[in-house]
Amino acid sequence: MNSRKQVLVVDRAEGALQGVMEELDSLGFRVVWVPTLRPALDFVKASPGLVLVVASAAAAEDGGQEFLAQLKAIRPSLRIIWGARSSAPPRAQQDYRPDSLIPEPFRSDALRCAVSSLLADHFYPKPIADAVQTAALEVLGTLGEFRVDGGAFLVANRTALFEFSSIVAFGGDASGHLLLSMSMDHVKTLYQRFLPGSPPVSMDRLEDLAGELCNRILGRINSFFAQYSLAVHPGTPLFIRAAGSTMRYPGQHPSFGVQLSAGGVRVALEYYLAEFDKSKLDGGTSGAVMSVGEILYF
Amino acid sequence: MTWSILVVDDSASARAQLRVAFEAKGARVIEAENGREGLWRARTEKVDLIFSDVHMPIMDGLHMIVEIRKEPSHAHTPIFVLTSDAAVTRAADGKKAGANAWITKPINAELLWKAVEKALFTKQPVALTSRLGSTQNGSK
Repeated sequence: MNSRKQVLVVDRAEGALQGVMEELDSLGFRVVWVPTLRPALDFVKASPGLVLVVASAAAAEDGGQEFLAQLKAIRPSLRIIWGARSSAPPRAQQDYRPDSLIPEPFRSDALRCAVSSLLADHFYPKPIADAVQTAALEVLGTLGEFRVDGGAFLVANRTALFEFSSIVAFGGDASGHLLLSMSMDHVKTLYQRFLPGSPPVSMDRLEDLAGELCNRILGRINSFFAQYSLAVHPGTPLFIRAAGSTMRYPGQHPSFGVQLSAGGVRVALEYYLAEFDKSKLDGGTSGAVMSVGEILYF
Repeated sequence: MTWSILVVDDSASARAQLRVAFEAKGARVIEAENGREGLWRARTEKVDLIFSDVHMPIMDGLHMIVEIRKEPSHAHTPIFVLTSDAAVTRAADGKKAGANAWITKPINAELLWKAVEKALFTKQPVALTSRLGSTQNGSK
């Protein structure tokens, strides 16, 4: 997770995809632009760190089918987002389909969605992504029938905050942080579910609940790493009251975002792995972990 | 007889949740927000059973348990660790510190109360698992 992933943008009109490039840069990618297909192929051959190609429809008009075929021949695992100016499938995709086809001009939300779904696994392998979602559902599931809204997504290193946010940093065999954020109304509702019938409580107490939930979710996520005999040590929760503001954190790649809801209550989670050697998951599981609510007597 | 239960946790919400659950069962609940305060409460008040979190500022839960076990009056007091840390290797650290059980959050309050009753009625927590190896069997 240390190296910055590269994205190649192919577009004949310099600057036409400037917004796209800025969006990708904000997601933590190193963005390279080339105007035509030939230098694009040369770049792909010379760049093992390349994970994604975003090509505009203009590129497709200039030998797109052959370009796609060569890309796939050089790097079968390379992900490709192709711009489309009409809803009809371009001839170029008959034999070699791009991974994602989105209309031009690119809209940032459509691009973000496509990039997230294509590249989330590069930053957060499926077992880790599943662990984050499972942990959130296990803990929040005691306070309602929570479900994940939509899919998980990547978040640039500038996070929008709700009124109540709690962040717990962690270190050890993996480092990073977990951020939990929600509105005041929603945290009040959760408090009533946590302690039914309790009188109105102070802002401090609401904040404390956010921190406790964040801690519990992180504990469940860390049990995933414990299965691989990896030790992750949580820090003390920090709190942020800053509705509508953003928090920046130094990072070379996106965080993993999940939104959950139950009965009108919405909780936003962001999990960020700053340092983790994914190859540590290759050795298989060997550590025993306890399930939620388990009692181990000595 | 009213049992006195010491709850040590840096989260006021978590302490309040246990207080409400245990007081509803007729127990008296004493709260402490870190290991140092928990140690002081255990030394100065009547305490029949202790629940403690692990990660806390000033003094963590395992350090507190080691210190409480040095008190002759608490050599046999049931001490349950209640934590988000689910690694069995960490639970082994709890056993080494002197805890009687390791419980992973979140847990249903009724199940927790059953564990309290079992410990206080029998005066010896029942070993239900041998995952850590040399567990002791108690009566049911």
